[in-house]
Amino acid sequence: MDLALGPSGRVRARMIPAPAGDRVAAAIVVEDATKVIDGVKVLDRISFTARSGRVTALLGPNGAGKSTVLRAILGVDHLSSGRATIGGRPFREHRRPVQVVGAFLTPDAAHPRRNARGHLAIVAASNGLPRSSVPHALELVGIADIADLPVSHMSLGMRQRLGLATALIGDPAVVILDEPHNGLDAAAIRWLRVVLRALAEAGRTVLVSSNLISEIEPICDDVVILAGGKIRAASTLADFVGGFPGAEGRVSLEECYLRIVGGS
Amino acid sequence: MRLAWHAELLKIATVRGLWIGAIIATAAMPLTSLLVAATGRLDAADTLTTGAATGAIVGLLAYGVWGATFAAGEYARGTIVVSLATVPRRGVLYAAKIGAVAAVAGVGALVCATTALLGVLAVTPPGQHSLGDPAVLVSVVLVVVSVTAVGAAVGIITRSPSASVAIVAAAVLLPNVAGGLLGRFQPWVVGASPGTVITQIVGGAQLATNQTYPAGPWAAAATMVLVAAAVAAAGAIALIRRDG
Repeated sequence: MDLALGPSGRVRARMIPAPAGDRVAAAIVVEDATKVIDGVKVLDRISFTARSGRVTALLGPNGAGKSTVLRAILGVDHLSSGRATIGGRPFREHRRPVQVVGAFLTPDAAHPRRNARGHLAIVAASNGLPRSSVPHALELVGIADIADLPVSHMSLGMRQRLGLATALIGDPAVVILDEPHNGLDAAAIRWLRVVLRALAEAGRTVLVSSNLISEIEPICDDVVILAGGKIRAASTLADFVGGFPGAEGRVSLEECYLRIVGGS
Repeated sequence: MRLAWHAELLKIATVRGLWIGAIIATAAMPLTSLLVAATGRLDAADTLTTGAATGAIVGLLAYGVWGATFAAGEYARGTIVVSLATVPRRGVLYAAKIGAVAAVAGVGALVCATTALLGVLAVTPPGQHSLGDPAVLVSVVLVVVSVTAVGAAVGIITRSPSASVAIVAAAVLLPNVAGGLLGRFQPWVVGASPGTVITQIVGGAQLATNQTYPAGPWAAAATMVLVAAAVAAAGAIALIRRDG
């Protein structure tokens, strides 16, 4: 992938190629996913599909179950019933998983005493990626100059970028990001916007959860809205907002979202 | 599996505290043995080999604690999420993790035993003690690897560095301290405990009958390895079945 976040915040963009070789574009399919934790149903028969070539926004209030769904897709958490597949198979059944799915679930996923270069080297080694993928990923997210700084000395935004580098290092066919905008500065948010769109336009599957609805609206094609562990809406963005008559023309995704989940 | 194992070794190599911890654990046994020998506390019946093994309990305790903190630390810091997202086959991840700590402990124990023997040889006046059979120091490697693997497995089971360290310390030290409470089972339990296994194989300090494994020293070692394998299996089940 050739979309680097430059030191000045400028995005150096070139065309992103389609997934190569066995990394065919793959849809994420979640079917009747239910998750019960200590007797509480945090996911209740969730079903949706994130298609290749599109950015799917996973939206919902705090505690709606967004992170739980993403963790279940990645097999980090087990579903109580139902299933989640990527390209027709559970994530764990893919060989070289980092080249199939790039995931970012938390900015605190790197050991605080390890530096960014070491963290990415581990991810690369675990999936047989070439050593050159590490400096490339560091360049991509604009943290090459602090690659040898311990993670504990990085700001939230820098750790967020390291998480994105972890997700993108394998040049994956599917990208799953949980709240990637948190802590990012304006330049990085703009870079992320360009990258997510470019990934989708290259035929990759992008599933991203966010609370920044105004930020996600311009780049998403489909929306899945969760609340209370249940699906409240799952459709294309156009169909979703088109279903809400506005007083003056088209209503915003945020307005539609608030009408669905409640709140003013 | 090889890739995951390499990644686990890199995890150790890229955090200063982890590789320094391994070095300290490696140094613990020879330093203790050296101290005992240098202060003239070896018995007349001791050989240089048994003298080298006197610090073994310190070394295996240090390695057990190191294995426990390495594995449990991933949960305590939340980094297990990335491990599971990059190596989603949990059996492979577990085997790689145990294999990595066992490899480091194995090499470390070999260095421990060798340097302890050389150190004791260097500080003991010539002709005062015979060499003995240095080959029996292989038991140090066997026991250190087992205890380290158990430490890592307990770390994964408890997901808590402090709890896992407490359990490992108890497993290493408690049999000798509280063995009397075990009644007629004492020789079977104390005799198969890590420190006592080394003592029996190396043939150093005289053990009381109720601390000696009735079926012999190598049977004691086999029992200890079986118990370690059972704990390791429990760790695998915990990692595979639980949420990350």
